[in-house]
Amino acid sequence: MISTILMKRALSDLRLRAGSHIMTGLVVCLTMLILSFFLLVYYNARAFVDRFGSELGIIVFLKTDTPSNKIPEIYQRISRLDGIQGVNYVSPEEAFKRLERYLGEEKEILQGVSPTFIPPSFEIAMDRAVFNLEHIKRLAAELKRWPEVDKVQYGQDWINRLQFFVSVAGKVVVMGGLLLLVSAAFVVSNTIKLTVYARQEELEILRLVGATNGFIETPFLIEAFLQGLGGSLTAVVVLYGVYRYLLQAVSASQLFRGVGLAFLPFSYVSVLIAASVGLCVIGTAFAMRRFLRL
Amino acid sequence: MANMESPIIKLTSVSKVYPPDHRALDDVNLEVEKGEFIFLTGPSGSGKTTLLRLLYCADRPTSGDIWIDGVDLASLSRGQIPFLRRKIGVVFQDFKLLTNRTIFDNVAITLEVLGLGRQQIEKMVRDILAVVGLEEREDAFPLELSGGEQQRVAIARAVVNRPPIILADEPTGNLDRLRTDEVIELMEELNARGATILFATHDERLFTNTHRRVIQLKNGKLENGL
Repeated sequence: MISTILMKRALSDLRLRAGSHIMTGLVVCLTMLILSFFLLVYYNARAFVDRFGSELGIIVFLKTDTPSNKIPEIYQRISRLDGIQGVNYVSPEEAFKRLERYLGEEKEILQGVSPTFIPPSFEIAMDRAVFNLEHIKRLAAELKRWPEVDKVQYGQDWINRLQFFVSVAGKVVVMGGLLLLVSAAFVVSNTIKLTVYARQEELEILRLVGATNGFIETPFLIEAFLQGLGGSLTAVVVLYGVYRYLLQAVSASQLFRGVGLAFLPFSYVSVLIAASVGLCVIGTAFAMRRFLRL
Repeated sequence: MANMESPIIKLTSVSKVYPPDHRALDDVNLEVEKGEFIFLTGPSGSGKTTLLRLLYCADRPTSGDIWIDGVDLASLSRGQIPFLRRKIGVVFQDFKLLTNRTIFDNVAITLEVLGLGRQQIEKMVRDILAVVGLEEREDAFPLELSGGEQQRVAIARAVVNRPPIILADEPTGNLDRLRTDEVIELMEELNARGATILFATHDERLFTNTHRRVIQLKNGKLENGL
């Protein structure tokens, strides 16, 4: 019964002071919208780097003096490595033919050149299901240690740059997010303080008639919970609208063809909503603390 | 623990000093028996409000002991104070009503705190509004009522949960003679139903020819307390 009364008191206050509650909800919504937008950009940048890296694969160049009877054995050893989807042996002759095709009409410059100047190599396609950049780096380092291997390429310069960019972006999102959350907590806490002052007379009467701190505080916490939930859900809906718009723009653009965009996964959305609710409830509890000590 | 033999209110050597050195109450000793109706008198600033504030735990004494219904207030933790206040109805000169709530809601607040069911709250509120003669005004807002009616709402809020003790701090201070008499009549009726009443007033007309005990505070010192 007491829970019904507390819920009723919270809803009644939301109705009586709709203006200030809507303003608080808007602050929460905008904060969560900015935060979740940065998170969406970061999430897609990371996904892009992962996808880009996995499409690169690894090319292992063997030493030119590697005996041809060792090729099958090396092939088997590579195939047994973790996270490998497929291995393709490229003989010097095959590589030479590719070079000729690549040069087209200029292939005459290869006349008189023996195909053996190109080292034999293996093209390794990575298994996307288990792919990650750290794994590809480890694999390349291991292959490099094999005595028959001369060189391992996996577009490391590109990957390193992209990784650096994503890591900086990640830090920006985390730090910016924390700053946004702290500022929102400050605003929510002060709004609640103003509400408490506006309701001081009512709270004084509640104390007088024997209300416990829990009875006084709970409606405020319910209001904060609803504000956090409403603000963050609205932010997620708006973000989804922004995402749909961007998706259309990206699909129509030649430049970004194939880049692809994904919305934040459910786990990210859940954490955002939980953070928003937590922020409002903790901000409110903090604002009430001084009053309840009286 | 409640003790049937002890006074319902007891103060022993109670003093209250506000910083830096204003002695609002000075060595006050008082015993109030269950069912008594006592007038607490004295000029403005004599310490009447301070004494009442100590009784409903809005303040703590600087020294001395206070017992309410056998409970030593000094032994109460902060969390226990609300439960003591449920035994005490307090009425103020300025009514302290919520102007944005109806008369019904203003009175119901006392019962909501107790966690009673809606039906029970409705019944008890309507019963007490009938006692104070406001059963037709439950949907009105306080500012739509006269001063006397507002004070009756405040009394209804203080007594709707039938507390054994009623503390009234100049409840007729803002009322004309007719409304004052109405409030006194109401208090008499509540006293007849068993409530112990401590009625603070400086209006001599109210206690000049009364058969009730009259105690007087002068500069924080109490006369006729025991």
